[in-house]
Amino acid sequence: MIKILIVDDEKPICDLIDMNLSAAGYHCRTVQDGLKAIDLIEAENFDLILLDIMLPGADGYDIMEYIRPMKIPVIFITAKHEVKDRVKGLKLGAEDYLVKPFDVVELIARVEVVLRRYNKTDSILSAGDVVVDVDARTVTKAGKQIILTNKEYGLLVLFLRNKNIALFRENLYERVWGDEYLADSRTLDLHVQRLRRKMGWEENLVAVYKVGYRLEI
Amino acid sequence: MKFLYKILLCTIIIMAAAFGISGYFFVNFVFESALEREVAQALDGSSILRFAFETAALNIPTKYNVLQDAAVRQIGARLESSGQNTGRCLRLSDEGRNSIYTSEGFSEDTALLQQIGPETKVWTIASHGDRYYIHTGIVVNALDRALYLETLEDVTEVFEERSMGFSVYRRVTLAMLACSGMVMLFICVWLTKPIRLLANATKRMAAGEYGYRAKRISNDELGQLTTDFNSMANVLEETIHELKEEVRAREDFIAAFAHELKTPLTAIIGYADMLRSRKLDEEKHFLSANYIYTEGKRLENMSFRLMDIIVTRREVLEVQPIEAKTLFEYLRGVFAENKEQKIRMSVQSGTVYGEPNLLKSVLVNLMDNACKASREGGMVKLSGKRMENGYAFEVRDYGVGIPEEELKKVTEAFYMVDKSRSRSRNGAGLGLALCVEILRLHGSELDIRSKVGEGTCVSFVISGHGPGAGGKGAGAEAADVEAAAAAGAEPGA
Repeated sequence: MIKILIVDDEKPICDLIDMNLSAAGYHCRTVQDGLKAIDLIEAENFDLILLDIMLPGADGYDIMEYIRPMKIPVIFITAKHEVKDRVKGLKLGAEDYLVKPFDVVELIARVEVVLRRYNKTDSILSAGDVVVDVDARTVTKAGKQIILTNKEYGLLVLFLRNKNIALFRENLYERVWGDEYLADSRTLDLHVQRLRRKMGWEENLVAVYKVGYRLEI
Repeated sequence: MKFLYKILLCTIIIMAAAFGISGYFFVNFVFESALEREVAQALDGSSILRFAFETAALNIPTKYNVLQDAAVRQIGARLESSGQNTGRCLRLSDEGRNSIYTSEGFSEDTALLQQIGPETKVWTIASHGDRYYIHTGIVVNALDRALYLETLEDVTEVFEERSMGFSVYRRVTLAMLACSGMVMLFICVWLTKPIRLLANATKRMAAGEYGYRAKRISNDELGQLTTDFNSMANVLEETIHELKEEVRAREDFIAAFAHELKTPLTAIIGYADMLRSRKLDEEKHFLSANYIYTEGKRLENMSFRLMDIIVTRREVLEVQPIEAKTLFEYLRGVFAENKEQKIRMSVQSGTVYGEPNLLKSVLVNLMDNACKASREGGMVKLSGKRMENGYAFEVRDYGVGIPEEELKKVTEAFYMVDKSRSRSRNGAGLGLALCVEILRLHGSELDIRSKVGEGTCVSFVISGHGPGAGGKGAGAEAADVEAAAAAGAEPGA
């Protein structure tokens, strides 16, 4: 299981990230102090560190310096939004830089991207009897292969990666089609319906009123 | 054109004019006196000639004492030849002013001849080609005749001397101008040096080098100007520095504000997003809602504090006398519920002049900070002392203390020595900033002394005199009443 360390001096935010990442299937540890964070990094192995910059004890940049030789990917999560702060963070070797306030969906997506870059994601996604091999791009249900179009496949992966989270129409559309969502577009709904039928998820892939869809497993 | 060259050019023009005019008059004066001498000589010469002529006429054998024209011619020729080496020419005319004898080369001009009267000598300057002559005329009485004798004296030399004088003088003048021009150039360079230094200083200052000063090199008005400029620059530099400080403080404030704003916002948005997009179990549901509530409260609290500071900054203080005791009683009430720390108060009676609610708020803030810094069961001392010019409040705790390098920053907005600790108590880091503003309104300031591990002592003095009561030297009045500030506002937060 992938272990993620969350370092932020605000407990509410630590908990928020913790809850969401845990729901996405990661194992999380949280710590609110820079020095304690370094102790933890030394004691345990982490696959990814989410790091705030303004911390008591040692600040995020200091911790970054400490982590760099260990080759653990780091995502900065901070309220500092100025370009020079972002550049400084990235130059120090951070993989990504997320500015507060952020969307949870965006956080999860970025975490995934970074983990994929480090080949740390599981290439097998599963929900119930459905198994998706991301590397081989195969979808099976109860051992039987199912043929999906590109868009359907994209939607499926997205739902599997955000299980039990309501995904907004705009969000789904933008991430699968890579286009700006048009309010009256029915394309998305058509694709979701086809996916639902193909996967036999009439009960699981539910429409959320005024929001979008959620995969309930 | 450069000022330097302007001075130089003006000086040279003036010098040239002065040299020219004086030279002209000098050369002319020399010429005129020479000419006068020549004229006098020529007139003398013509008188001598007349005498010679008259003598010669007497010696000529004549009939009936009549002088024949031929005799006149003869005498004329003799006179001319006797003066040949002097280059003298002469002309003799009869009573009808008709020429009888004329030397070779004598001019045809008869204008002077017409002017000769019986008793007068006349003369004029005549020129022939490039030669100049003095032309004189005189009446000669010989025997029965009254003849007119004219002479021509060559004075070209005098005129030549004059033009030579002019040309020599011109050359001398030019040489003098060149020399004095050089000297003037150096003088001008020297005189205008302070100006150049000043100009250089202004340029460098304009380029942002506010610390640069012009060097004073003279004691005249320019030196004074340099000094004035430098003192102006000092004031400017100071002001610029202050402005920069202010801008920096403001930027820090905004950055801190943005940061402080984003943190609760991130939590609120994040948890709200979770609530609306996910099915959560009851515990998580409550946790999320609770976080939204507390972080929302924190935002509210922060905005109230900010409003307080902004309002305080603008407010005109309405001062009134306050009994110190009332303030302490109020505080006692506010902190009555606090069982974690032991609170000791030692109060002297007195009166302070101030705005009661604001002073209460300061004291509550300070007490609250003291309690936060103290361990459970720690002691917080609040004391009020009457002073000569006012009333001193002191809040002392024996808690964690503030590191020395942080002491200056603690009054900055949003600054928290120990963030997680202060946040856990819903602090926004605005309390001391507010206190400073309120005390500034009261003409007072916070004095913070602290040692890590030993505790902190915060004190301030509020005037014991109302506005216009003439506070200075009125120590005796202090015995009267001194207003102690009562802490009002919301508890701690």
